[in-house]
Amino acid sequence: MNRIAFTLTVNAMACEVVAEPRKLLSDVLREDLRLTGTHVGCEHGVCGACTVLVDGAPARACLIFAIQMQCREITTVEGLTPAEGLSPLQQALHEEHGLQCGYCTPGIITTFEAFLRENPKPTDDEIREVLSGNLCRCTGYANIVRAIRKAAQIMRKGTAA
Amino acid sequence: MSGVKPEDTARDGFDQIGKPVPRKEDARLLRGKGTYLDDIEVPGALHACFVRSPYAHARITGFDLDEAKAAPGVVAVVTGHEVNDWTNALKMAPPIEGLQPTEMTTLPVDKARFHGDPVACVVATDRYLAEDAAELVYVEYDLLDAVTSYDAALADGAPLVDETLPSNLVSHQKFEAGDIARRKAEAYRVVEAAFAMQRMTHLPIETRGCIALWDDGRAHLTMHIGSQAPHPMRSMLAGRLRLAEHQVTVASPDVGGAFGQKIIVYREEITVAALACRLKRPVRWREDRLENLSASLQARENAVKTLAAVARDGRILSLEAEITEDFGAYCFYPANYLARVIGMILTGPYRIQDYAFEVKIALTNKCGAGPMRAPMAITSLVMDGTLDAVARELDIDPAEVRRVNMVRPSDLPYVMPTGEKLEDVTPSECFERGLEEIGYAAFRDAQEADRDNGIYRGLGMCNVIESTTYGSAFYKAAGIPGSGHEAAWVKIEPSGAIRASAGLMGTGQSYETPYAQAVAEGLGVDPAQVDVVLGNTDISPYGMGARGSRGATAGGGTLFLAALDLKAKMLDIAAALLGLNSPSELELRGGQVLRHVGGAWSETGLGLGDIARTAYMDPLKLPEGMEPGLEMHRAWDPPQMTYSNSTHFCAVTLDAATGRVDIDRYLIVEDCGTVLNPLVVEGQQQGATVMGIGGVLFEHMVYDESGQNLCGTLADYMIPTACEAPEIEIVSQNTPNRRTPAGIKGMAEGGIMGAIGAVNNAVNDALRPFGVVAERQPLSPDYIRSLLRVTG
Ligand code: FES
Ligand code: FES
Repeated sequence: MNRIAFTLTVNAMACEVVAEPRKLLSDVLREDLRLTGTHVGCEHGVCGACTVLVDGAPARACLIFAIQMQCREITTVEGLTPAEGLSPLQQALHEEHGLQCGYCTPGIITTFEAFLRENPKPTDDEIREVLSGNLCRCTGYANIVRAIRKAAQIMRKGTAA
Repeated sequence: MSGVKPEDTARDGFDQIGKPVPRKEDARLLRGKGTYLDDIEVPGALHACFVRSPYAHARITGFDLDEAKAAPGVVAVVTGHEVNDWTNALKMAPPIEGLQPTEMTTLPVDKARFHGDPVACVVATDRYLAEDAAELVYVEYDLLDAVTSYDAALADGAPLVDETLPSNLVSHQKFEAGDIARRKAEAYRVVEAAFAMQRMTHLPIETRGCIALWDDGRAHLTMHIGSQAPHPMRSMLAGRLRLAEHQVTVASPDVGGAFGQKIIVYREEITVAALACRLKRPVRWREDRLENLSASLQARENAVKTLAAVARDGRILSLEAEITEDFGAYCFYPANYLARVIGMILTGPYRIQDYAFEVKIALTNKCGAGPMRAPMAITSLVMDGTLDAVARELDIDPAEVRRVNMVRPSDLPYVMPTGEKLEDVTPSECFERGLEEIGYAAFRDAQEADRDNGIYRGLGMCNVIESTTYGSAFYKAAGIPGSGHEAAWVKIEPSGAIRASAGLMGTGQSYETPYAQAVAEGLGVDPAQVDVVLGNTDISPYGMGARGSRGATAGGGTLFLAALDLKAKMLDIAAALLGLNSPSELELRGGQVLRHVGGAWSETGLGLGDIARTAYMDPLKLPEGMEPGLEMHRAWDPPQMTYSNSTHFCAVTLDAATGRVDIDRYLIVEDCGTVLNPLVVEGQQQGATVMGIGGVLFEHMVYDESGQNLCGTLADYMIPTACEAPEIEIVSQNTPNRRTPAGIKGMAEGGIMGAIGAVNNAVNDALRPFGVVAERQPLSPDYIRSLLRVTG
């Protein structure tokens, strides 16, 4: 098939990719770049498991062809994870038991890293509204909401200091 | 060997059991470093894609595979004509009265029985190419009439779903205890009620899939597959593939949810494994969401009608239940399995001795059904809903009707009419506490006042007896094949490193941490020291896997017993090293051997590391006759049934103009015995309850009259999002079970049972002024409006 060479910037690294133009960003990230933290739950844009950041804004990697992403900055859960330990949001999810199977979790992390940057002091309703774009079949959401609230608090203190 | 007895292990105050330890698995999952099935890299793996029937019921008259075979990247295209020669059919013929034997080949060659039935498989060098080629497989069909409901299936002259059977009634059983006719004659009234649950699906966010690796040199198959029950799955796979069990390894990676959907081995997986063996190349398959929604196991779609003979005060004198279920096109499980359990435990926490039930299961042209988290979910709705019907008809307070019927503490142990024994449960304690916490009397007053202002609020109550852990004796009593045992081992390496394993595999239930706590408690060490390995049949012992809510009782309990036995061995070694005649004054805590002298514990200077070194490297120092090494294996068959109990209260507001239901408050009081890890338990309660709420209000797997599945995307099959999930208040009132290790009871399905009952009962309470009753789920605005329209 007609495979094409192109460059993607993922987690601040330039990556050479050779793939068909029809190959989804989610598949290129997972298969070609081995960044398997981005999960695929529906491939039709509903579940949110594949959410990555494109130029800092959340986007569904299953609805984008990788080749469209040249000259854009892509960030995945791997890029939001510190070299050692956990980010404040990841730490809060850990402490509040905000994940069970963990399949939905990377999409929630990417979504809320971006959201909390723009909205450092969200209400629970705002959190739930945004979180409604990420389906979770395990947790019932309450602990995720609690964790995001806690992370927001900690991140506010962090920037204030 | 004998070892520590479960009933000797409960006590007040554990060191590790009961602590809210955050989870071990989080470190990898949060960093995006989990390994789910599709994350496993297999160089050179081929990709499988299935061709599925677009029709619900159609004779297959021919295949044309040439074009697909010639397509780029294609390595093989097969149908049942090849695959069925390589594999054994699934025979479902347990000797159960009234159950028709069925047989299912790996792929159908004669006819397709539901929309989504796999009829061919394409294998290509990449997933995109496999999907391209699947479009080029031509199957000729002759359309047949489809049966798409229970009633249609049993109508005279209905087309046969399975043409080897005399009718679509695949299973029919009856049970009667006591004297129903006499009780009805004595009754003040006989109250009728009806309940129905819609077809649903488990919807794990990770779909199914597998990777089959055939090692031609060793003649060995390794099957990477997300599995709740790796060992039974290996047995099934080996049998279907005509391999010896030792020729198959099932290795389950991290699993993105299962809820009952990942227990059995499906036809797709057998096909993929058979292809890997034939092609002698690795083959992988990733189910897409459309396939998951249309062709992975579905569930529920059962209905129960009750007849309750009651006294003037609302006491139930006798109960009759007619249980029906639409089982879909194929029997992946014995068809009577789920409905029969419903019948067995239906009376729940209520004192009923004169009881009869009848179970009828029909095959239809829909996807096959099987257990989904809380397969007996409808039971609590049926019992508490029947009590609500009694309350309505006799105009008695619904709380009062529950009170007069409930099993009292003095009635325990209480033997249900089916022979099931309730013991160490606290239904009335939980119910009374719930009434208090919810402010029952005040709610009723406010409800009255609101009604006058056109605000329709309702309060639903549901008392749940959750059958968590099925022992072998239950299966025998229920006439269902199966074992209830579980197995575990604990090993301490020469360095003192600790590993443990059990036959269950977690699919999100957080087993690794509570299991480490159970082992740590048994050994007298810190949970952080315990590495728990699950899911690989070469490593873990043969256990029955994760089903029901047996994870804590069967899994944690067996691990605890193994750890206690291993500690006993270590203390014997310590006694020998310290020159003592017996270990009776010794204890292990924090990895150190302590000695009880002069009324206090003091250090002996010996630690777990010293004992481990001696056990492996200096066996001459061991007590006489003791085997070297520190390994302990236990298998344990739990009591016939272990029960948890809870009471759910749900307050709703109903918008009569739109039919919309809003949950205002949700409260649970629960007794689930000794808890291994309260964080994890609370997570299960929350998750299960929200899944239950999804079932009552939103989820519905819709088929049209011709059998077309109308729910192909997540926009069609709606599960609760964060906006629909309420905050849930949980009050724990745990009391230990006296027959299980550490007093564990388990839970994880009661939330669903409670929600299905409490929300439904709440809506019916709100509908009361209109004189209508919702008798089927989901309680969509549509359905509620249709009820209200009748009242004008
Ligand atoms: S996989 Fe992209 S939204 Fe579900
Ligand atoms: S934790 Fe399993 S889907 Fe969210």
